[in-house]
Amino acid sequence: MAKVKYIAGKEPHAKEHRMIFRNVDREGWDTSLATYQKEGGYKQLAKALKMEPKAVQEEVKAAGLRGRGGAGFPTGVKWGFVPPNNTKPVYLICNADESEPGTFKDRYIIHQDPHQLIEGLIISAYAVGAHLAYIYIREEFPEGAQILETAIEEARKQKFLGKNVCGTGFELEIYVHRGAGAYICGEETGLIESLEGKRPYPRIKPPYFPAAMGLYLCPTIVNNVESLCHVKHIIDMGADAYGKLGTPRNTGTRILCVSGDVKKPGYYEIQVGKVTMGELINDMCGGMKEGRKLKAVIPGGSSSKILRADEKFTLKQGDKDVEIGIEDIPMDFDSLMACGSMAGSGGVIVIDDSRAISWVLNNLNTFYAHESCGQCTPCREGSAWMKKITDRIVSGNASPEDVDTLESVAYNIDGKTICAFGEACSWPTEAMVAKFRDELIGDTDGKNAKRPVSKETQEAAKNLKSLTT
Amino acid sequence: MIQIAKDKTAYIDGTPHLIGEGESLLNFIDRHKGRGHVPTLCDAPQLEPYGACRVCSVEVALEVDGPRRTVASCHTPLTPGLHIFTESEKVNDLRRNIVELVLTDHPLDCLTCEVNGNCELQSVAAKVGIREVRYPQGRNHLDRKKDLSHPYMTSDLSKCINCSRCVRACDEIQGQFVLSMHGRGFDSRIIKGFDTSFEDSDCVSCGACSQACPTSAISDIFQSKSIEATNHTRTVCTYCGVGCNLEVATKGNEVLSIQAPPNAETNGAHTCLKGRYAFRFYNHPDRLRSPLIRREGKLVEATWEEAYDHIAENLNRILKDSGPDAIAGISSARCTNEENYLMQKFIRAVIGTNNIDCCARVCHSPTAEGMQRSFGTGAATNSIDDINETECMLVVGANPTQGHPVTGARIKQRAMKGIPLIIIDPREIEITPYAKHHLQLRPGTNVALLNMFSYYILEAGLVDQDFVERRCENWEELEAGLKSLDLDEIEKLTGVDRQEVKAAAIEYASAKGAMSFHGLGVTEHSQGAKTVMLIANLAMMTGNIGRRGVGVNPLRGQNNVQGAADMGAQPHQGAGYLDVTDPKIQAHYEEYYGAKVSGEIGYKIPEMFEAARNGDLKSLWLMGEDVVQTDPNSEAVRAAMANLDFLVVQEIFMTETAQYANVILPASSFLEKSGTFTNGERRIQRVNAAVEPLEGTKPDGQIMVEIMNRMGYEQSACTPEGTLAEVAGIVPFFAGATWEGLGDNGKQWPIQEGCESTTILHTESFKRGLGKFHFIEFKESSEIEDNREQFPFILTTGRLLEHYNCGTMTRRTRNSEIVSKDVLTINPVDAEVKKICSGDHLRIFSARGEVTLEAEVSEEVKPGILFTTFHFPEHMVNNITSDVHDGDTMCPEYKVTSVDVEKV
Repeated sequence: MAKVKYIAGKEPHAKEHRMIFRNVDREGWDTSLATYQKEGGYKQLAKALKMEPKAVQEEVKAAGLRGRGGAGFPTGVKWGFVPPNNTKPVYLICNADESEPGTFKDRYIIHQDPHQLIEGLIISAYAVGAHLAYIYIREEFPEGAQILETAIEEARKQKFLGKNVCGTGFELEIYVHRGAGAYICGEETGLIESLEGKRPYPRIKPPYFPAAMGLYLCPTIVNNVESLCHVKHIIDMGADAYGKLGTPRNTGTRILCVSGDVKKPGYYEIQVGKVTMGELINDMCGGMKEGRKLKAVIPGGSSSKILRADEKFTLKQGDKDVEIGIEDIPMDFDSLMACGSMAGSGGVIVIDDSRAISWVLNNLNTFYAHESCGQCTPCREGSAWMKKITDRIVSGNASPEDVDTLESVAYNIDGKTICAFGEACSWPTEAMVAKFRDELIGDTDGKNAKRPVSKETQEAAKNLKSLTT
Repeated sequence: MIQIAKDKTAYIDGTPHLIGEGESLLNFIDRHKGRGHVPTLCDAPQLEPYGACRVCSVEVALEVDGPRRTVASCHTPLTPGLHIFTESEKVNDLRRNIVELVLTDHPLDCLTCEVNGNCELQSVAAKVGIREVRYPQGRNHLDRKKDLSHPYMTSDLSKCINCSRCVRACDEIQGQFVLSMHGRGFDSRIIKGFDTSFEDSDCVSCGACSQACPTSAISDIFQSKSIEATNHTRTVCTYCGVGCNLEVATKGNEVLSIQAPPNAETNGAHTCLKGRYAFRFYNHPDRLRSPLIRREGKLVEATWEEAYDHIAENLNRILKDSGPDAIAGISSARCTNEENYLMQKFIRAVIGTNNIDCCARVCHSPTAEGMQRSFGTGAATNSIDDINETECMLVVGANPTQGHPVTGARIKQRAMKGIPLIIIDPREIEITPYAKHHLQLRPGTNVALLNMFSYYILEAGLVDQDFVERRCENWEELEAGLKSLDLDEIEKLTGVDRQEVKAAAIEYASAKGAMSFHGLGVTEHSQGAKTVMLIANLAMMTGNIGRRGVGVNPLRGQNNVQGAADMGAQPHQGAGYLDVTDPKIQAHYEEYYGAKVSGEIGYKIPEMFEAARNGDLKSLWLMGEDVVQTDPNSEAVRAAMANLDFLVVQEIFMTETAQYANVILPASSFLEKSGTFTNGERRIQRVNAAVEPLEGTKPDGQIMVEIMNRMGYEQSACTPEGTLAEVAGIVPFFAGATWEGLGDNGKQWPIQEGCESTTILHTESFKRGLGKFHFIEFKESSEIEDNREQFPFILTTGRLLEHYNCGTMTRRTRNSEIVSKDVLTINPVDAEVKKICSGDHLRIFSARGEVTLEAEVSEEVKPGILFTTFHFPEHMVNNITSDVHDGDTMCPEYKVTSVDVEKV
């Protein structure tokens, strides 16, 4: 493939491996179908349509693609959960409700390369036997929704969608559905409820596993934007070649979204596991801001458990257990999990020594308390209480016992709710209390509090007072 | 020790227990350890598992010492061999923590709360052992305002624990979707409609939310969850034929509130606002409290002795002068089986005539007749619970959510689950949006439409030939008849596109099991009984008989209209539908009653009026019937009443009819008497007195016994056990029924050995042997033939949820605050032509008379059709209805009146 020229100042880092983001920030690139087709767009669709749907599924399974939305579940395996004797319609939903704080990859795919997503979506729909697919996009991406609508219209005109896709007789329509501004709609069963026009209360599982009883109680596959894009490349490269990217159980590439206290925050597409945390922060992101030191990293979106800069982790290398520091952690699913956190949605939040953990935690607790759907009691009441307690800590009106209470509330949410939001909202508290207990206890006392350094955070702390009573 | 197969057991805290099919962990634990062993806040037996409060969490493990997981027991399916730990430290801690969190946002004013002592939050808090709340005061919702806007429903959302039970009750039980959760997380709160008050919402006041709410966040003005009552009595609702079981809470001799027993087979934890809230008529100041005798033209108070003497004297005089056939009685479908039995026995055995009828004459007599001719039994073939099994529902001439609200709600729920619903009705009704097919025919053309419907089943080759050949007769006649139909003509007559009819017919006939329901829109027509036979044809030709989820199921109107007919309150059949003209039957009755009975068929209700007007009928005894207001062509009924020599009325209130009485006997209401009612699915259910009869009144059965004795017939006292035993001795399908054996949920007749139910009729063969097909030709009603030139509109009538019949009872409750008038519905096209707007006063006039009603412009009716309800007799809608009757049973044609309309 021809060498790609990028907009000046937005060139990828040498350690990047641009595949999904190949066309992001590319000079002369636009979102039109014509541009996409010039680079061989929709050829992979034609190729896939010549295969049996089952063969496409097998290819994706063999490639080892793991979902890029957060859980890292193998995509091909998920597709295989549609009951074999199913007689109902199958739906495919693209989850474009990218809401996890610190995560901003899907937005760029949609904004700059919508046809890549649509092609991946059509191939995937073909593979799972869906004739109706939805792209559920968060309300906050109005421009993205418009871009997708336009792209779908173009694709329909070119017969990549409609009653007779590419003349093969395969039928597919894609509809864009805009959310209404709720994080919980990113949870797949909440998303399905929302798509059905209901309040997005996640469904109880069992019995409502989407692959068996999803949208309109029919088998439904929900995949992340980035995951669907990978499908196109798997068809392009073949499972073997794709599987050689990355590391054995962590194949392909993935986009890391780095935010926080680094010199060059942004997106970086890497081969999974081929880059370490240290390389990412110090090399690709240009290191920490001037005069600051790394304090901690939240490696996979805001809900993933925080890693301390001075922590030691044990990883298996071959048969041996090896002790490593934070900078040596390979950025892949299994390594981050072994380190007690997760790769999640790829949102890497870097925290330096100027930040008070109480403030970081309160920031997250504010988010999660606001986003709890309110269905399950432990989460509805608990997320609000966690925020009330960190409000008090940040404003210096807490007692050391509050930290214990905070911890006990978190542990009584984690794993005890209908959906994974329970974990999402309690993990930050669990991890930060466990790893920064002394600092948090110190902060409870107004006089000795390690005040947040920036003016903004001090303002934020002042404003919190109105919420604490 | 009994060895239990390993694949059939699971362990609760180490002890093996047998697992049931399809059980959740919570069902399993409840069954073995009792409800409440595992506490829960959001689970309620009448609702689907929800899994939100997480209080029911338990730990589970595949091995006794294996790794444990915490799961919500309410929605986790049980698997064999599972070890469940219900009391581990971890789950106890979790439960305590959840309840503690809930209590931080709950007013701890338990001592003054209306549900103190019956609050599920209180019980759960006590059970999990909350001793302190570790969280100091934070932002809360204790300042939420109470909503007291509604006549019945109340809310105090400061007490809400966000369990969503009310929302789910509204959605899953009633299907009204009034309540929902607004906002999210800590700010989420219950709202009504678009965040309005109860009063301004679409709430139908069924009270399901109030009953489901675990605290007093949603309740009612009667505080039905309070424990103030000293006694609870299970009885049966007095309103419609659904036969809802009620639990009446009383203190002293006063009814405090009514709830629905969760284990009621008919209505499981649900009723409508009439059953639950419209009971305050029972001690209304208007209740009659003393016998009244007409002296010098005026009704004056008298003692019971005086009244009985006066009655006996006059009846004996008339008997002597004019013979027994100059006396007639109309029994009451509102009264118990025992009372109806005694009434007909009084007329037959004491007076000596078959001049006995009941209000079934004006509602479902065509059903009884039509189904008897087709099947041999004039009652519902199946049970209401079969709705849960059926694959297709056909509703003909009925508005179930209004007329039979609990059954209506179940039909609606089933339709919402995707089961096809076909409606044949001239109006768009509440369940129309849930229907797959609505055949909106012109009133009075049921026969034409159903003929076309049958034709298309035949045409599509969907006739169940095997069933037809094995179980039925006269198919050839029907087949030939259907083939001779003029479809163009039918399309014109009914105003329904034939393709729509075809699609619906195919839907009905190709379903695995299709169930039909019909109401008075079928029967109250000149071809009423014939229409019923056509519905029976449909069921037979498609083999929809004798299994679960199929059949012909009339939605019986009054609480005991089934029973009144069963007991023989009709002129041609005695108790148990035995033919009075058969000498053998006559002898049988005479032996049982110990008195002579007549072998001549007596007067039907319209014939009684006719006979009264021409002087043949001298005396009429009315048990709880307000015929002046409820029978058609009121002027003619008034003339009949005025012309009677001696009219006795047994009533709970003064009525239009009672104004004509010579003697009025104050009777007791259903809350004050015991006996049995038989609902629309043949279920004989126990009615238990919740309070003593109001001072001065007597239960109708007691009145009947006393007058029988006074007239010289020895009748033993009316007691639930004794009189039921007497009934069981003569009514064949009651044989074996005992008061004890009926149990809490009643039994469906024919009663089988050991007082067991028959849930489905005609399983192996029809009562009459072979089911009989009838081909019926459509005949236009003479009302239309004679009047359509002069009165071009067709007026049809129906009911509203909030009121019952002429409103004698419901209008003496706060239901009249919810609906306070009848209105006339007119299509916008007609309204435009006639320059009518909603709210205008209209004059509606027919060949008989005129009435004035307020207009409501609505597309519910097609052009040329008008609709009104008849709950407010001051409008006297029956001034304009006609004398036309069903040709077979004399049921009045209330549903078709030729009228014209103009703005006043």
